[in-house]
Amino acid sequence: MFEFLEKSRYVLGMNARILTYMRPSNSLRAIRIADNKLLAKRILKKNGLPVLQNYAVIRKLHELRDFDWSTLPNSFTLKPNRGLGGEGILIVYAKRKKYPHPWVKADKKIITINDLESHILNILEGTYSMTSVPDVAFFEERIKLLKLFKPYSFRGIPDIRIIVYNSVPIMAELRLPTEESGGKANLHLGGIGVGIDMGTGVTTTAICKNKIIEYVPKTRLPLRGIQIPDWEEILRLAIHAQQITKIGFLGIDIAIDREKGPVILELNTRPGLSIQIANLSPLNDRLKRVKGLKVKTVTKGVKLAQDLFGGEVEDELEEISGRKVVGINETIEILDKNKEKHAIMAKVDTGAYRTTICSNLAKELGVDQVIGSKKVRGALGMEERNIVNFSFYMDKRMVTTEAFVADRSEMKYDIIVGRRDLKRFLVDPAKNVFMKKPIKAK
Amino acid sequence: MSFITQFMISQGVPQETLIYLLMLPIVATVIALARQVIGIKGFGIYTPLIIAFAFLATGLKYGIIFFFTILITGTLARLFIRKFRLLYLPRMAIALTVVVLAILAIFYFGAYNGQTNLISISIFTVLIMVTLVEKFLAAQIERGGKGAMFLTMETLILSIICYWVASWVWLQAFILSHPLATIFLAIIINIFLGKWTGLRLIEYFRFREVIKSIEIPKKKRPGKI
Repeated sequence: MFEFLEKSRYVLGMNARILTYMRPSNSLRAIRIADNKLLAKRILKKNGLPVLQNYAVIRKLHELRDFDWSTLPNSFTLKPNRGLGGEGILIVYAKRKKYPHPWVKADKKIITINDLESHILNILEGTYSMTSVPDVAFFEERIKLLKLFKPYSFRGIPDIRIIVYNSVPIMAELRLPTEESGGKANLHLGGIGVGIDMGTGVTTTAICKNKIIEYVPKTRLPLRGIQIPDWEEILRLAIHAQQITKIGFLGIDIAIDREKGPVILELNTRPGLSIQIANLSPLNDRLKRVKGLKVKTVTKGVKLAQDLFGGEVEDELEEISGRKVVGINETIEILDKNKEKHAIMAKVDTGAYRTTICSNLAKELGVDQVIGSKKVRGALGMEERNIVNFSFYMDKRMVTTEAFVADRSEMKYDIIVGRRDLKRFLVDPAKNVFMKKPIKAK
Repeated sequence: MSFITQFMISQGVPQETLIYLLMLPIVATVIALARQVIGIKGFGIYTPLIIAFAFLATGLKYGIIFFFTILITGTLARLFIRKFRLLYLPRMAIALTVVVLAILAIFYFGAYNGQTNLISISIFTVLIMVTLVEKFLAAQIERGGKGAMFLTMETLILSIICYWVASWVWLQAFILSHPLATIFLAIIINIFLGKWTGLRLIEYFRFREVIKSIEIPKKKRPGKI
């Protein structure tokens, strides 16, 4: 019980969200930008960030009366400017060919000009606005769904919510529309929230209505392990948007368009807290770690987010499989004949069966005692190679090997680790990829 | 009894007026506490407060009957007139009218059965409750039926708790004898509530899975590296 209370201090609650983060970080100007979709879009666009195109804006009743409906394209979204929580958004997918050419909604219901008019009237009157004051309606370009997300989302566009604080993305969540949420990605309407590993952009745990789920409802499609494309670019966009709008505690919604790539949908000054459940990770702890850091560039912010808050996926994988995840380049420690450790950069090569060590290195370490030999078929034809016996540590695990000795003095690495010695490891080709020449460790 | 309250009562200010006035900061504090520490949302501070005082005036039994009559007829009226696609204010006006009709029916029923308690209820309390129908319906439009129902029930429970607090005889005697202390105390408690950054009680429940999964980093032993 005591431990539970102690742990609970890492979680961010409503009270602390307002008092500790929203009030000090979000100025009135910042809130005004976030609450006004059109203004936010204009500011972001001016600074070269990707936003959706506006087809038309209707501010007054007479603008609605004089509106030329034929200027609208076949598919669009109709939104209230100050709408809250996805309310009042109308999505139109296509236009019927038959007269009078009505539009069609996602659920195949027909939308006529009359329907649009009455919806716009409701918007103008402020039915969907936060404070019920008169509002503005606008037509916006509709996002084209990414093929990757198609099986996961029900008649709508998934988006990625990222909380950014002090120019560092803190936590992220993929939000998927469901049948219950009516094609909207908002969690409180019944959408699915999937936690995202900040380091790699791969999804982790998922929730629907505050309950942890494994699969897309009514299917066997796992929600874990989806790789979000353009992950670093998305993180960059989020930081950029914060620096431009100066919303200190920002919840940003980014969607991925099939053609345009990542696009900023919306800015929030009051991001929901259930993102903590989707990530099974507390916010307060992360926010405290970032508070007071001086983050000068966007690249630095991305790097900080990936290093500080990434890595859960790998840890989890190691836990499940009981095997360590290694990259293509790993520093290993070879034991010499006096059992002393020598750190060497090695290449992990799943194409080779046996580990191969450079003859010079073997001699240097005193592990050149030949215990046998084997014929190998290489690119240069048949060759007889000597086998030596030694041990090394890779990622804190000891491996005893019988390795080939070859002249590798012309090669980039003095040692390659083959399949025979990788049985207790998993190889992630995206980990530790160095483009530069490896520095040979002492 | 305090000098101030005694003087006022002797000069003809009704005791009930003083109790209601001094009870208001206490009930408001209870509502603030319920929101910040427990996490009961309800409709802000006005609605539960006014319902609690309406219950005080009507009595709990009739209060709850009125509450549900207003809620149910208001909702039915909204569902019915939704088809006609009217603008917001006329739509609300019609809903209010239907609710008034239902209240009239209750009074007719009271008069018919000779329920003197019911028909002698101050009309202003009932009117105030009727106007709350706008809050309920606006919540239904914004949050959908289920969310609005949940919020309304939270408000009702909160109002009943406030009603109990306000009708507590010991507390009534206390506030009459220490009117200034009551007000001072309410301000102090609310300053603390306003600075409270801890988790709300329901958040311990809401985030239980997150809390369970937290691993506290082990503290390093001092002196050794």
